[in-house]
Amino acid sequence: MSETSLQTPFPKRAAAALDDRFLQQALTIATTKFVDMRREAFSGFPQGEALRDQARAIKEATLQKLDLYLEQLADNVERLGGHVHWAATGEEARETILALCRDRGVRMAVKSKSMATEEIDLNEALERAGVTPVETDLGEYIIQLAHEKPSHIIAPAIHKTKGQVAELISAVARRPLPADPEALTAAARVQLRQKFLEADMGITGANFAVADTGTVVLVTNEGNGRMVTSLPRIHVAVMGIEKVIPSMSDLVVFLAILARSATGQKLSSYTTLVRGPRQPGELEGPEEFHLILLDGGRSRQIAGALREALYCLRCGACLNVCPVYRQIGGHAYGYTYPGPIGILLTAMLKGDASVKDLAHASSLCGACKDVCPVRIDIPRMLIELREHVGREGIAPRSERAVFGTLRRLLLSSPAFRFATVAGRALQGPFARQGRLQKLPFLLSRWTRFRDLPPVAARTFHERWKDLK
Amino acid sequence: MTRATFLERIRKEVARAPVAAGVSTAPRPPHPEAAAEAVRRQMAERWREALDSFVREFERVGGIFHRVADLAGVRPKILEIARGHEATALVAWDPASLGLDLASLASDGLAVTTATSDPDGDARRRHREDSARAQIGVTGADFVLAETGTLILLSGRGRSRVTSLLPDTHVAVFDRSRLVESLAQVGVLLEALHVDPARSMSGAMINFITGPSRTADIELTLTRGVHGPKTVHAIFVEAP
Repeated sequence: MSETSLQTPFPKRAAAALDDRFLQQALTIATTKFVDMRREAFSGFPQGEALRDQARAIKEATLQKLDLYLEQLADNVERLGGHVHWAATGEEARETILALCRDRGVRMAVKSKSMATEEIDLNEALERAGVTPVETDLGEYIIQLAHEKPSHIIAPAIHKTKGQVAELISAVARRPLPADPEALTAAARVQLRQKFLEADMGITGANFAVADTGTVVLVTNEGNGRMVTSLPRIHVAVMGIEKVIPSMSDLVVFLAILARSATGQKLSSYTTLVRGPRQPGELEGPEEFHLILLDGGRSRQIAGALREALYCLRCGACLNVCPVYRQIGGHAYGYTYPGPIGILLTAMLKGDASVKDLAHASSLCGACKDVCPVRIDIPRMLIELREHVGREGIAPRSERAVFGTLRRLLLSSPAFRFATVAGRALQGPFARQGRLQKLPFLLSRWTRFRDLPPVAARTFHERWKDLK
Repeated sequence: MTRATFLERIRKEVARAPVAAGVSTAPRPPHPEAAAEAVRRQMAERWREALDSFVREFERVGGIFHRVADLAGVRPKILEIARGHEATALVAWDPASLGLDLASLASDGLAVTTATSDPDGDARRRHREDSARAQIGVTGADFVLAETGTLILLSGRGRSRVTSLLPDTHVAVFDRSRLVESLAQVGVLLEALHVDPARSMSGAMINFITGPSRTADIELTLTRGVHGPKTVHAIFVEAP
């Protein structure tokens, strides 16, 4: 995966993605389908708009008392016999899980899809500690076999062809399987069923956690979330602190819009509500339940510029409509969370310096804000982020030089007029078909992917003088 | 990090954050159990409409709907479903939770396991082996949500959480008293269940099941039965 390594600058990663013809095709098909399904789901759902407003209000109101709801959640989980761990950093979260594995003799952990565990690089840490992590969401399983990373929040393996998947699953089955999604899914079912029954630990994220009842909520389609919370003797749930919601009355508001936004379903196949370890009369369920509350940079933004990004439900709708994501896919972003919201989450979790290029990977068209189930104002925050990386001197020097010059030209009327005249005199060799397509020096990076209109033969300024 | 330090940091950030006015969390029923009772009274009037829309939505997500006149009709219907899937083994919730005893299906050549309500380690092991082997799992449904075609099951004593998960085919049996119209009503019922959970629920899990297990992770091709059941049947018992 050298093209997606963070050693490679973002423009190179993006260019590699643009040259990948299968990826281009897969992205077009996948994102178009998701966009259509979402639109259809909301078009027959007139109360959807009001529910989105309400969901947004709930997220904001919850943030205003986040400390209280987290305490309430922790108290209730403990009352149910569960254990709560407070992880300020990804490293603390990892260490907590590794210590549990050591103490309880865990050899294998089955995982249901969780962005939070991707964020903290849990799998690598488990492997180093001699614990085998098995991703059980089919898409995650595929990319784990391929030693890759997810390329979409809800469809992690959209970049793989069925031929590539057949090779990966055949290698595990030790027999050649046809490149047929049904046959491959059936083979993966057999391979993973055995793992569910053998694993010592089940690891999940949390779509929501209900403070009032101590309930962790998982939304899945495959049923793997149910397996990992029912069969292994230990269940560990890792959740970002922003996932807490106050009550069951809030939960049903989110459930009504989450699946519609993500996949266009009214509800996903499974919504699983887990309250601590199994109760005495139950035949199945874990003996131990652990909830890891992860900060990892989130609390800094409660009063920060990225506060609204804490509303995010991780539905992926903003990826599918983003003209940039649709061209370059998830890997080119280089971090756990891709797409427009991913840029903000990366800034939140890894710091502004990590998004000095990514902050510009948006056309600011606003489609992300339009489809966001909780109406996060992503474009506004991206602009602020750009301003911030510019002001703090994090942005590349060339970019600062160009925009610095532009600023001086725009602030001074004589300078602007001089530039107009000079531009008109010099642009001749660069104009093709009435557009500036190839500028020299620093400006070449701009025109590599974009055109500029040439300076007009007579500018508005000049014509205005005649009119007066 | 300790709980105190962790929460202190969050408290500090919350205190200095700008506060958007006029936002609130979802309104909660002040008396959840009375509100749940009101939902049940409403549904006693409106169950027919709810059933129609449940059937429509359930079939849309790939469920197979059946209707029988009374409890006596359930056993032959289950046998018919089992034969249709060429099943040899069946696992079910215990008779008290299901409202009927399926043990007699053994005389029709099906190996039948019903959940025990007072399990020890041995019973758990056997039950898991039987559940993993069974091709059919039979459960009740505590709420049946019309708006989305969803079966809602509470786990607990005699109601194993894997009966609706491990077998290839899940069969849920319910009558009109389980029908609700909307997610908002489900919210009320969930609030009521948690007023005194020790009394209202003997288990730690609630599952919303909307059709069979599905994935589209390989080239977005919809495939059923990736981990959970490939087929879900619902049997509606007409007699109240």
